[in-house]
Amino acid sequence: MASRTRRRTGRGLGHAMLGPALLLLLALIIVPLVYSAGLSAYSWKLTDIDLPKQFAGLANYTRLLGDPTVRTAVLNTIVYVVAAVGCELVLGFVIAAALFEMTKGRRLANALILLPMIIAPVITALLWRYLLDPQFGLVAQVMGVFGAPSGIGWFGDQHLALPALIVVDIWQWTPFVILILHAGMLSIGQEQFEAASMDGASRLVVLRRIMLPAIVPQIMIVLLFRTMDTYRIFDTVFVLTKGGPGLATETIGLYTYRTGFSYFDMGYAMALSIFILVTVVLVSSVYIRLLRRREVLR
Amino acid sequence: MKRRDWWVIGCYAVVAVFLAWVLVPILTVVLNSVKSPPDIFSATPRLAFTPTGDNFAKVLGELRFQDYLVNSTLVALGSTALSIAVGVPAAYALARLPIRGREWWAWLILFTRMVPAVALVVPMFVIFQSVSLLGTYAALVAAHTTFNLPIVIWMMRSFFEELPPDLEEAAQVDGTGRFGAFLRVALPLTTPALAATGVLCLLFSWNEFLFALVLSGRDTQTVPIGVASFIGTVSVDWGGSSAAAVLAMVPVFVLGLAAQRFLVRGLTFGAVKG
Repeated sequence: MASRTRRRTGRGLGHAMLGPALLLLLALIIVPLVYSAGLSAYSWKLTDIDLPKQFAGLANYTRLLGDPTVRTAVLNTIVYVVAAVGCELVLGFVIAAALFEMTKGRRLANALILLPMIIAPVITALLWRYLLDPQFGLVAQVMGVFGAPSGIGWFGDQHLALPALIVVDIWQWTPFVILILHAGMLSIGQEQFEAASMDGASRLVVLRRIMLPAIVPQIMIVLLFRTMDTYRIFDTVFVLTKGGPGLATETIGLYTYRTGFSYFDMGYAMALSIFILVTVVLVSSVYIRLLRRREVLR
Repeated sequence: MKRRDWWVIGCYAVVAVFLAWVLVPILTVVLNSVKSPPDIFSATPRLAFTPTGDNFAKVLGELRFQDYLVNSTLVALGSTALSIAVGVPAAYALARLPIRGREWWAWLILFTRMVPAVALVVPMFVIFQSVSLLGTYAALVAAHTTFNLPIVIWMMRSFFEELPPDLEEAAQVDGTGRFGAFLRVALPLTTPALAATGVLCLLFSWNEFLFALVLSGRDTQTVPIGVASFIGTVSVDWGGSSAAAVLAMVPVFVLGLAAQRFLVRGLTFGAVKG
């Protein structure tokens, strides 16, 4: 009897401690999302505030599926994700493996490496805006010293803008990949390396046969978080190109923002935001299921 | 030398080159912030120049960048305090107490990490406008809590789960009860982790851009908005905007290095212990 009362108070306490957080998440996240889903069924522009909202059913969603800008934005995003995350993984693996061999100065190197990922994306954008300035940027200045033609406006060029943004992403997020992969390498048992060196395996063989397979879970985590976060990229693109020139660097987040806050087409903006949410959750769920199967995530 | 030595030297060289790639953009802006215009707008990179404090004087004088710094500090502290006050008890409950549907709640909180800010900012704008909260600190604190609260819950849960349960059980036998065990045993033992979690929340809030762009008003704009407006309108003023960027980066570097050990755990939602 006594233990039963104990249990019940434990459960009451648990609910009392968890309750406020759940209510806050409900109010701040679930309510806006439900509100958004509901209003995405209306045709509603903030520009004519006196007009009543008109029920439009799924019209916003059929428009979305046929919208060429959405298609361009999704394609851009896929190119961006694949190129940026691919480069970050390869580069991150190389640097993490190199760090692993260091006996001196590893702590200092680690501290310096993490700087780009804690800088605000807006500031990262500013750094690169000035670095790649066609006239006075460091890149143009150095190219000028070697007599190369200057005046390349990276972010204003139809073909260079997206690659330039990918370079910025690589600068900012390779450190994240390095730290995760490095943590994975540090957790490999020493005996595995000793066994390999007894067999006389070269460092490259150790890298490929022992280290690479051991950090597969970390690689999958990198893929999950980088894909999820790159898909919703906004800050750097907003500051550097605003999606241009033309639609060369348009992303789905940027398009949603503009639909809502430049065109004030709220009904459509909400449909777009629900589209982003659903696609992110679908892709993440696939990843998380894979991670759970390999017992990387709970 | 042996092949092994060459391999190690190569590794140091690779790291050195990467560090240069990481640091050059940052150092360029730091140098620009103390350069006068002729030294910035030159045909070749100039390393020998007379440093000037004019850019900082201007940014903190007529451009009033300190207002942005104050706004960011208030919003970051508010959101962090709220997230910790509400999130830490919730994390403990999820880690230790019997709760109906525990896994389901945990999944719900994981789901909130996936919700993109852009999906929230559109409805939030309309809701805050209808209750006249648009442009207030409260709106920004609420918006930043949408990402900070899940982080606090998820991280602190992982720290509480790592504690050996015997200590809390012993405290309960002593008659302090389960809440007492949380308050007097679990919380003191996780103070360093709690501090690091708080630092991460401050960092994420300080850097946040989209919510601030849409929900802040003229008097509540945060640092990223200030920096972005520099790039837009006074883009010719490289010195001034670089000085603003330096002012924005210094607290981030201090906070980031303080929380270095827990940074990866925070960024991966506890999936990587680091």
